[in-house]
Amino acid sequence: MPKLTLKFDQAILGEVPVGAKEVSIGRSPDNALVIDNPAVSHYHARVFNEEGRMMLEDFGSMNGTFVNGQRVKMVMLKPGDSVTVGKHTIVVSDSRELDGFAPSGNGAAKAAVSKINETVMLDTKERREFLAKVAAVGESVQVAPTRVMVATLVIRKGKTDRKEYTLQDKLTVVGKSAMATVKLKGWFAPKAAAQINRREDNSYYIGAADKTPSINGTPISHPTKLSSGDVLAVAGIEMEFVLRD
Amino acid sequence: MSSLTKQITAATIDFGARSDTGRARENNEDSFKVASELGLFILSDGMGGLDAGEVASKLTVETVCAHCRDAEADPNLPLEGDRAEGASDVSNRLASAIQVANRIVRSAAGAGADTNSAAPNPAPRGMGATVVALQFFDERVSIVHVGDSRGYRLRGTEFVQLTDDHSLVAQQVREGRMTEAEAEASPLKNVLMRALGVDSAVEVEVDEEIALDGDTYLLCSDGLTRELSDAQIAGLLGETQNAQAAADRLIDLANQAGGGDNITAVVIRVGGKPGGTLGRIGRWITGYGN
Repeated sequence: MPKLTLKFDQAILGEVPVGAKEVSIGRSPDNALVIDNPAVSHYHARVFNEEGRMMLEDFGSMNGTFVNGQRVKMVMLKPGDSVTVGKHTIVVSDSRELDGFAPSGNGAAKAAVSKINETVMLDTKERREFLAKVAAVGESVQVAPTRVMVATLVIRKGKTDRKEYTLQDKLTVVGKSAMATVKLKGWFAPKAAAQINRREDNSYYIGAADKTPSINGTPISHPTKLSSGDVLAVAGIEMEFVLRD
Repeated sequence: MSSLTKQITAATIDFGARSDTGRARENNEDSFKVASELGLFILSDGMGGLDAGEVASKLTVETVCAHCRDAEADPNLPLEGDRAEGASDVSNRLASAIQVANRIVRSAAGAGADTNSAAPNPAPRGMGATVVALQFFDERVSIVHVGDSRGYRLRGTEFVQLTDDHSLVAQQVREGRMTEAEAEASPLKNVLMRALGVDSAVEVEVDEEIALDGDTYLLCSDGLTRELSDAQIAGLLGETQNAQAAADRLIDLANQAGGGDNITAVVIRVGGKPGGTLGRIGRWITGYGN
């Protein structure tokens, strides 16, 4: 009897045989194969037996159902097919085949699903290909492509050495210190009033140093992510954080 | 001018570290290494069957340390991997050291061996490791990491996780697809998106922070953070004066809480009094800048 194996990357989340009874797939808990993810419709698709053939039907789902990378409405499935729903994959196999491991022979870099509580590494090549495929055809099309934005601090009030600063470093220090980019002037200016960090995803966070900065009038209690238009105040200066194309 | 020469005087920086097998595992696959003359602290959590995890984490910390020491002796030592934009020389050197460690762990795992050979090739050992490393320079600290070993900072009463886990569930949380509680309960919480020893190059996350007098830094493996809450860790760091005593107490507490995995903690205290008011920066490093 054929079966469907639900996977997230290479981790196996569940298995269900395809017999006479149809297998419904979706986010609602009354489906035979439940995928609890916002990218999946409540009643997303079904796999059923028609005159000995295994058929897949998409119920007009928002983000679609993909077989081997192609968006489908109704299609015949065969062992070895890979069905993508959201970021999950459903692998079609014959129960004669022994699985439990990813069906690839990628040698050393191959990651097996290990015992519970063992840390698992994913084969990054396969992961990238998989994620790239999902990004190309799946839900990610609804997300605006990331543009490279230039982050700028525009000084609104206070004494600094310049009126505008482009934030391109990992760490930008506001203060009188030699390492400060936003140089404060004045006898009582703190050496390091605050810091702005550029994280790996090019988001920016402001954090306290010798002083606690505030964003739009509210003092921060922990490093806080900046949005374009935020007005930052610290050590007597006021500056606007702007993201530009 | 940024120089790689930096020394931390023993009087102004206090550090302590301990690694423990825990109560459930037979081997300790965690490793740490301190090169105090470089202000460098490295922690790695290895994975793989038999002794592979131990070997991987040991190779990682030793390689990172050796590469940084070599660069100290020879500033023209080439960087391995791409330069991180907007990052200091120290951060780039550290990231380079992690690329070297990745290559070494990968070759130790048997990648690149003749897989077409008909002979019963010794199976790839599925060897890998996480790494988190921290290096003080000038008045700053560079933090680089791969995987789910973490760096934290206690500044006053503010306790901040400085590293984002490269795990599947952490990514889901960042994308708003999962709550912290769901991540904690997920059967997939052990799935890493990045690790050393997997691919020919590894994506190293690089961050830089100001180091202030009075800051306490913690590097730890997931064996600590799976057992103790942030509040427990922050409380303990805040009330324990001595860095070694703090590391010891963290390990003891994690063991009392179950000790389900190997536990490693490296605690670094910069000048000042723990939990005290913030002092001026830049008093605790001497000899930088040449």
